[in-house]
Amino acid sequence: MTALFASTRAELLRLTKWRVTWLLIAVWLTLNVTFVYVIPYLSYRTGGGGEITDGQSPESLLADMMPTTLAQSLTQGMPLFGGAIMLILGAITVGSGFGWGTWKTVFVQSASRSTAFLGTLVALAVVVVGTVVTTLAVDAGLSVLVAVTEAQPIDWPPATDLAAGVGSGILIFGMWTAAGVLLGTVARSPALAVGLGLVWAMALENLLAAAANLLGGLEPITDVLPGRTAGSLAGSFGGGGTPGVLTILGGGTAGLVLAAYLLAFVVISLTLIRRRDVV
Amino acid sequence: MDDAVHVQDLLVDRGGHPVLRGISFTVPRGSVTGLLGPSGCGKTTLIRAVVGVQVVRAGSVRVLGEPAGSRALRRSVRYMTQAPSIYGDLSVAENARYFARLIGLGPAEAAHAVEQVGLADAADQLVGTLSGGQRTRTSLACALVGRPELLVLDEPTVGLDPVLREELWTTFHRMAADGVTLLVSSHVMDEAGRCDQLLLMREGALLADATPTQIRQRAGSDDLEQAFLRLIRTQGLAA
Ligand SMILES: Nc1ncnc2c1ncn2[C@@H]1O[C@H](COP(=O)(O)OP(=O)(O)OP(=O)(O)O)[C@@H](O)[C@H]1O
Ligand SMILES: [Mg+2]
Repeated sequence: MTALFASTRAELLRLTKWRVTWLLIAVWLTLNVTFVYVIPYLSYRTGGGGEITDGQSPESLLADMMPTTLAQSLTQGMPLFGGAIMLILGAITVGSGFGWGTWKTVFVQSASRSTAFLGTLVALAVVVVGTVVTTLAVDAGLSVLVAVTEAQPIDWPPATDLAAGVGSGILIFGMWTAAGVLLGTVARSPALAVGLGLVWAMALENLLAAAANLLGGLEPITDVLPGRTAGSLAGSFGGGGTPGVLTILGGGTAGLVLAAYLLAFVVISLTLIRRRDVV
Repeated sequence: MDDAVHVQDLLVDRGGHPVLRGISFTVPRGSVTGLLGPSGCGKTTLIRAVVGVQVVRAGSVRVLGEPAGSRALRRSVRYMTQAPSIYGDLSVAENARYFARLIGLGPAEAAHAVEQVGLADAADQLVGTLSGGQRTRTSLACALVGRPELLVLDEPTVGLDPVLREELWTTFHRMAADGVTLLVSSHVMDEAGRCDQLLLMREGALLADATPTQIRQRAGSDDLEQAFLRLIRTQGLAA
């Protein structure tokens, strides 16, 4: 336990001293704020119906920016760009240890390889939870700002709704981070891992889904691909029409499938780390 | 069990070929032992076996009374790899603190290690922007953090100037006097002369396990470099 704590503290030091970590989180927050508040607000002020906001009416645009829809605001950008950003974080955290050759010494110095690796996973989990909670705080602040500016009542969503939103956010980000960790472990290089992951998340899943559409009968598989499952989980909070957000699976099913992916990615990575020779 | 390292009939294959062909030796505690031999003779492989990251075909490697690589040794054995294994996108101090945290130590121990390798002035510099020798020293600092019982250093002084090498060897001997055991690979002959004990290797076998004086006598040469060449050539013909 103390050994795991030591490894976690070391990895947290690395992650927090890394500029990349902060850059990725800043990019995510900027994208979230831009697509959830800035663009819809500008569109609302100019009468709505713009192409980028999917022809939504001003009323619907405003409603989507209110504190009541906080869970939706938090999760709607996660399946598409949020997930990709977390995948990059996971991939470079593990991949760069191979790239710089540091795992070699870290594995000798830690209580065991598993301890060192689990410490890395716990540290990443801390970053994921911190990012989701920060996003919620930023979104809450902005939704209140919009409500006050537009003289709307400030109604908060039920606590269960918020908790479900935060939990789902953690699950989506956690699954993508774990996917990055697995790719970093397999590729043993940050660049290759990031490249492979982005090809998968941005292109391959959609191509497969399109192929399934053409061929028919393959939907049971393509519906539960990682990115599309994340889309379904986000879709359970509304936000339909946002790219990447789907309503194929119910929220509960999607959550379970994502948890299974997360667990599988972690177990496979850990097994590889324990078994393979570190070069 | 007074030996820090005890290796018996060690056989190691790498990539399907024998790399260590039956090596036996001991390293006494509190000594500086040099590991020398031509490039590719198996120094790094032997070091990997001692720190317990090398798959071994046969033989035994015991370190501080435990099997090499066992959990009990994680805190007491430190390893500096031949190619620096530190984060290029962190600063010198951050790297040292990272490795300190791994073994449950704090920033004070990390700062001390950075001082020991003479990098206090560059502590906040990113490792990626350091010179080659500075990078080697950062890697060494990360191995020095805390109070190891056995320090295994794979060519720690490559690319360093004579003044720094002198300082580091003084540090090594001071640590040995404090009871730390050092196993240091090198290919610089004036460093061989500073070791208490020398292990001379050639093509995966041990040619000599002796003090520098004994090696000079055996080869009949006062110059250690000449003595090495003579030993390697004559024993090579005999083999
Ligand atoms: N992963 C590997 N797969 C196959 N062969 C390997 C591997 N690593 C090392 N070898 C071979 O094992 C032999 C010993 O290598 P080792 O790195 O131990 O040499 P060394 O004495 O440290 O050399 P140097 O002084 O150049 O560092 C070499 O012939 C090398 O080519
Ligand atoms: Mg070597």
